[in-house]
Formats: sequence, C-alpha cells, structure tokens
Amino acid sequence: MSLAVPVEKKKAAARGGQQANGHKRFKNARTRLTGAARRPAVAAERTSKTETAQEPAMLAPAVEKTPNTAEKRQVSFAQMLVFELRVRDAMTSPPITATVTDSLRTIQHLMKAHRVSGVPILANDVLVGIVSIEDIINALDGGHINESVEQWMSRKIVTLRDHFSLVRAVAEFDRHGYGRFPVLDANNRLVGVITRGDITICLMHHLERRAEEAVAKEAALVATRAADEKAHRIVINTDVKSGDFESAGKLSQRMREVLRARGVVPDILRRAAIIAYEAETNIIIHSLGGRINTSIDAVKVRIKAVDRGPGIENVDLAMQEGWSTAGPLARELGFGAGMGLPNIKRCADEFTIQSELGGGTRLQAAVFLHKGDTRL
Amino acid sequence: MKLKSATKLPALLTVVEARPLTDLAEVKLSGCYISDLLSDVLANAQPGVLWVTIHIHRNVVSVASMKDITAVLFTCGRKPESAIIAEAAEKGIMLLSTPLTTYEAAGKLWKAGLR
Repeated sequence: MSLAVPVEKKKAAARGGQQANGHKRFKNARTRLTGAARRPAVAAERTSKTETAQEPAMLAPAVEKTPNTAEKRQVSFAQMLVFELRVRDAMTSPPITATVTDSLRTIQHLMKAHRVSGVPILANDVLVGIVSIEDIINALDGGHINESVEQWMSRKIVTLRDHFSLVRAVAEFDRHGYGRFPVLDANNRLVGVITRGDITICLMHHLERRAEEAVAKEAALVATRAADEKAHRIVINTDVKSGDFESAGKLSQRMREVLRARGVVPDILRRAAIIAYEAETNIIIHSLGGRINTSIDAVKVRIKAVDRGPGIENVDLAMQEGWSTAGPLARELGFGAGMGLPNIKRCADEFTIQSELGGGTRLQAAVFLHKGDTRL
Repeated sequence: MKLKSATKLPALLTVVEARPLTDLAEVKLSGCYISDLLSDVLANAQPGVLWVTIHIHRNVVSVASMKDITAVLFTCGRKPESAIIAEAAEKGIMLLSTPLTTYEAAGKLWKAGLR
C-alpha cells in the first residue's frame, strides 16, 4: 500500500480531480446503477478520512476469526487463495476504453454493448480519466450527452497494480468504496479493470478447480485401493530414522502378522521378515535415514528399501559375510556382524542392490509366497 | 532318560542357576544357539531353540520372535528392562537370566544334555 498511494496521490494532484469509477459485468442492472450512484459520495468522504488506513487492520477480523476447526480450515483455504492470486488473475483484460475525443454518447453505446458500467479514458495510451454510468445519467439529464468526454470525465483516478494480491485489492475496495479500479502494469500502462465481482468469480473459479483436483485425486486413490484389493495387495510403508534402534523390527513385525493371517508357511514368512528386519536395521545403522515400501499380494512380498545416503563405497565388499562398517554403538547392541546384506540375499527369491557413494542405496527384494512360483 | 528331561525348560533352570523373567511353560527345546550377533542368529539359529546371549536390548526380542526362538537366556546376571520383558511375554518368548558367564552356562547346558 505504501508503494502505490503516493503514486495515486501524485497523479490525482497533477491531473486535478474528481472521483474514479469503474465498470463491468454485474448481472443485475439495478445493483449496478444504485452502486454506481451511491459510491462516489461515500468514496470521496472515505478517501479523505481513511487515506492512511493500513491493510492489516482490515484483514485482522478474518485472520482472528477462529470459531471452530472446520470453519477455520475453510477460511484459511480461501485466504490462501486470496493471498496467492494476483489482480492480473482476476481483472478483465484487455479493458474497454475510449479516448478523450469520443463523445459521451459513444461511451453510452460502449457500456451497453459490453455490459460495463465504467470506461477508462486514454489520451495517447495514457490513462487520464474514467467515465462511470452515473456520468452518463447526468449527461442524459443535463442534455450534454453528445459533448466530448474530456470536459465531463472524472479525473481523479485510483488505480491498482496488476501484481497486487487480491487481498490487497479487497482492502482497496473497502478503503475507497469504489466499484472498480483501473489496473496498471509496472510501466503505468492500463492493462485491465477489476471489480469486486471479478474477484468473486476468480476465487470461485479457483476454488472449483481445486475442488475438481481434490475429487480427481480421491478417485485415483479409490481406484488404486480397488486394484490393491483385487490383487489382495497390502502396502506397508515406513519411514526409517537413522540411529533409531528402538523402532527396529516394527515393520517386520507387522509384515509377519499380515503373512501369518494369510496362512503363509513359517519358512517363507521368516525369510520375508528377516529381509525386512535387516533392511530396516541397515538404514538405522548405516544411513542418514530412508524409507521402506513393502507390498504383499497373492504371489509375493516385495520389499524396497531406499535411503538418503551416504551410499556404499564397495557393494561387492558389503555383500561379503563378516565385512561391516557399523559403528561402536551398533556393535554394542549386537549389530554389525557384517551379515545383513548376505542374509537378505540368502532369504530373497529376487534381489537387487544399487548404491553410489554420496548418493543413496536402493535395495529391492522379493519372496514368493508359494514354492514353485519363484520362476514367475 | 536324564537327557530327555533336561531339554525341557523348567528343569534347565536349576542347571544354570537361572531365574525366570517371564512365565515358563513346560516346553521341549530343540537345541541351543549362542551368539551375540543378531544377524548371525537371524541367519543360523533354528526355530525352537534356547538362545544364549549377553544382549538385553529389545532387538533381541524382535530377532527371537522372528526366528520362533522358544527362550532366551541372558548371561552374566543381565536383565532387560521390564518393558522389554513384557514385550517378550506378549510375543510368547520366555526369558531367563543366569549369573553364570556364557561359557559356563554353555558347558552346563551341554553336559545336561541340551544338544
């Protein structure tokens, strides 16, 4: 606000002035008329009184309003949009304009043809005034409708910048009481006109889009779940923290419960659990943290362990039994036998490991739930 | 005859001067495995054995449960925290503690017929 006001003041002072007004597609003509007729007076009054009013004061009620969580969430989502979206996203562009040499009659026809209630006036592509529907009514009333725009237009114009946030625009509407603002870009070129209606439409449009996105996401999720169900697939994903020895074994525990419930024979169950456990403890002992994704379907158990580094210097060495780089704490707890990866490989029907120093390690293993399926 | 009875759990208690930490059931042990390396146990221990270790960390319970190990004997008088004991009880793993060293306990168990 501090950026724009001095500019507006300067402009108003330089051009001498009355009040600004705007235009646009309100469906109800009566609202348009009464709104246009009433606002200039209010605006003039308010402008003098609240020239220095600051935005935060205007925003405060909405921000502080926290009646319940559901409403709070809604408010904050709408607020998020209002902060995210810019005046340029909501404005009507390009604007319907006229020049100083046009007659008020021409403006009247423009308003009718384009269903707008205010027309910015340009002289050599520079915004010099604005004609509102009220000016047209006065012209019809006073019999000067065929005279040129120049002597009857409002010269005091308050403008918004196209990069302003919508929340800023709303604050300006509250502050000045106008129905619409001409919008200038960084080069002071008129690029559009914005009304409260434009803001509402823009917000509703974006809310609708977000809602559609949410619905699509939900549908995709339901589809995945249905596919999982069809394949009797259960997915267990766990984040594994570096050094978290206390949590070791939780993933394999859950996996064993699922497999036992499915009647998987003990030997296969044990092999799958050992892979999960060794993969889990590997991430705990050696990595900066990672994630294990497991999926269990009718055919096999898949275990994918991916960590964020630091990577294994020599994978061939790491695959050798007895070779370990585990630290003293891990060894004190009975880890670091140098048997983790060999154990995984021995238990797995399918096994791959990729690692690069400085990157991460990616281990994938699978156990078939029924003997004889191993060649599938 | 002596051999057979000595492979059952409560009878083995006296052999190694052990105190039970969980409720003990009358079960026959299939053998014994001694290791302080968890991955080694995961790789080589057979189901139904008595595992002798000095580790009292909760990962011992996880590993024992994974390998369907019947009972764990902690040596050198070590005892895990009560939360870990409770976890073992919940998973049906029996825990015992002996003041003997692993070597002494192993010798006595072997001699008693647990092979």
